[in-house]
Amino acid sequence: MKDTDASGNAGILSFIQALNVNKINKIDRVNGIDRINRTVSSIAKQFSRFSTEGKIGILGILCIILMAVFAPVITIYPPQKITGDSLEPPGPGHILGTDELGMDIWSQICYGARMSLTIGLAVAFIAGFGGGAIGILAGYIGGHVDQGLMRVIDVTMALPSFPLLIVISAFLGPSILNVILILVIFSWAKPARIARSQTLSLKKNNYIIAARNYGAKPFYLLRRHIFPEVLPVLFVLVIGISSHAIIAEAGLAFLGLGDPTSKSWGMMLNHATSFRSIYFTPYWKWWLLPPLFMLIFLLLCLAFISRDMERILDPKLKIKKGF
Amino acid sequence: MVNDRNSLIFRLLSTLFIILVINFFLPRMMPGDPFSTTSADEVGEDIIVMTEEQHLYYINYYGLDRPLPEQFLAYMKNLMTGNLGRSIYYKMPVSDVIMLHLPWTILIVVSATVISTISGVVLGTLSAKNRKKGSDRIMMTGMIAFAEIPSFLLGLILLLIFSVYLRLFPLAGAVTPFANYNGMVEQILDISYHAFLPVLTLSLSQLTGVYLLTRNTLITVTTKDYIRTARAKGLGEKNVWIRHALRNALLPVVTRTGFTIGIMMGGVVLVENVFSYPGIGMTLRSAVVGRDYPLIQGILLVIAVSILICNLLVDKIYGKLDPRVVI
Repeated sequence: MKDTDASGNAGILSFIQALNVNKINKIDRVNGIDRINRTVSSIAKQFSRFSTEGKIGILGILCIILMAVFAPVITIYPPQKITGDSLEPPGPGHILGTDELGMDIWSQICYGARMSLTIGLAVAFIAGFGGGAIGILAGYIGGHVDQGLMRVIDVTMALPSFPLLIVISAFLGPSILNVILILVIFSWAKPARIARSQTLSLKKNNYIIAARNYGAKPFYLLRRHIFPEVLPVLFVLVIGISSHAIIAEAGLAFLGLGDPTSKSWGMMLNHATSFRSIYFTPYWKWWLLPPLFMLIFLLLCLAFISRDMERILDPKLKIKKGF
Repeated sequence: MVNDRNSLIFRLLSTLFIILVINFFLPRMMPGDPFSTTSADEVGEDIIVMTEEQHLYYINYYGLDRPLPEQFLAYMKNLMTGNLGRSIYYKMPVSDVIMLHLPWTILIVVSATVISTISGVVLGTLSAKNRKKGSDRIMMTGMIAFAEIPSFLLGLILLLIFSVYLRLFPLAGAVTPFANYNGMVEQILDISYHAFLPVLTLSLSQLTGVYLLTRNTLITVTTKDYIRTARAKGLGEKNVWIRHALRNALLPVVTRTGFTIGIMMGGVVLVENVFSYPGIGMTLRSAVVGRDYPLIQGILLVIAVSILICNLLVDKIYGKLDPRVVI
């Protein structure tokens, strides 16, 4: 663990230097148009740092987000209404056909994207930044608080998360809120641990000691010096957590523990696979394949982005991972 | 090192304790009475109507009319004596139901662990040897993309390709129903024929981790001085790789295997459901659908305990492999 932390730190420091250079550049902004130009070019510059795979990932995620946001515009039928014959094959009426109740599959795919994205984002942001904040505070305060937190983190990370998730949602009843809550409880530990180790090493830096000697209050130090430097690492973790959350939600829904009021991709898989004799009929081609491909596509996009961000953050990783 | 071991045991015990606490409080946190939900609203769900007598039995078993600390003590006492309660659906002790299904899960998890570890080490070694060639780069990218697909989605793809489209493998079950075997060999063949796809799925999903780890440690190890010494004293390339490089590179792989089993126990629940494989994952799903709470709790406990035991075992094996670790 220590080894990875140390190499992580080296990477973070180099990234931070790059950030600081950016900040200095930003000071001499002249007027509005220039500012817009700069933002566009800086986004383009950031984008060009990603490899081909990373670019594909970003574009893919953008497509899925657009699909989720504009779901009512790009679909003709509401997802939970019977709008055609049962199990219609793909055709002009229904682009991807219909399921056993006669609901449009394309609509279900578009609206289902909302579910996956909501769960992924909500869990990732709450767990990532909440856990990060806890880790930073514990690392900064140190002493017994820190020791206690480390124990809690160790135990949380050793818990078998998916079996527990199944059992808890079986008992508490399936709802989006419950799923988000449980996933947050199981995924805050990793960001907390990494944020803590980052803070511990940052705390010893001369400029932070100097700032403190000049009379900086703890809150100011945390906000001004420590948090911005831990932030990039947290972002990488957030992507990882969100893909875990999406997998967990799909898995739960696949087992029949999804929110019954919504149609997520996992729920579609569940309905299709629990349809008797689906494998002996051609129905799986348009009923089972679309949600399966969408889920895999979303997860691969997230994975590409997170791998690329790791690489950008930590140039040493390039050697370590053997790329 | 002594300190390390103590902290490991402390961690495992506290994890177990937390699972027990969760297991204990969950039915009590549920809105209303956990045993009064008997309506069925899902397709294919079995309706379980409890008689008044059964209802009283469960109230009594959980001791819901006594104060909480007393209930907790009674619960712990029941666990210590191996009494996990009675399953509502199967109408037999939970431990018997679990014993009926656990061997199948152990079969596929253990074979997947063995297969993924061995093939991961072999592929990782080959990859580390050829790391400057183009073939290695293709293998890396392919493996990494593979790793990101969760095991149950991978399982669905394999099922669709091999069982549905090509019709090479069975769609469900662990043995051919109503089969008469002419001897052991045929039975073993039938079991492995049914277990093939689930094991393949689990192995593929764990393969990349072992592969990357072996490859990376080997690359680090081969830059060490003792490898140069081994080469300098005239050892053959095979000897250098197997006896000097690989033996040292295997240590992290062993540690990883323990964690892998933990991850796999989560994945196996889903994978078994994809292949309708009658292990505890399938049982868990049917228990969830049928609201068979004692069975759900029993299965959670078994999964948790098996993960913790694996962690302990890995710790022991590690001590044997690495003479520097003094126990």
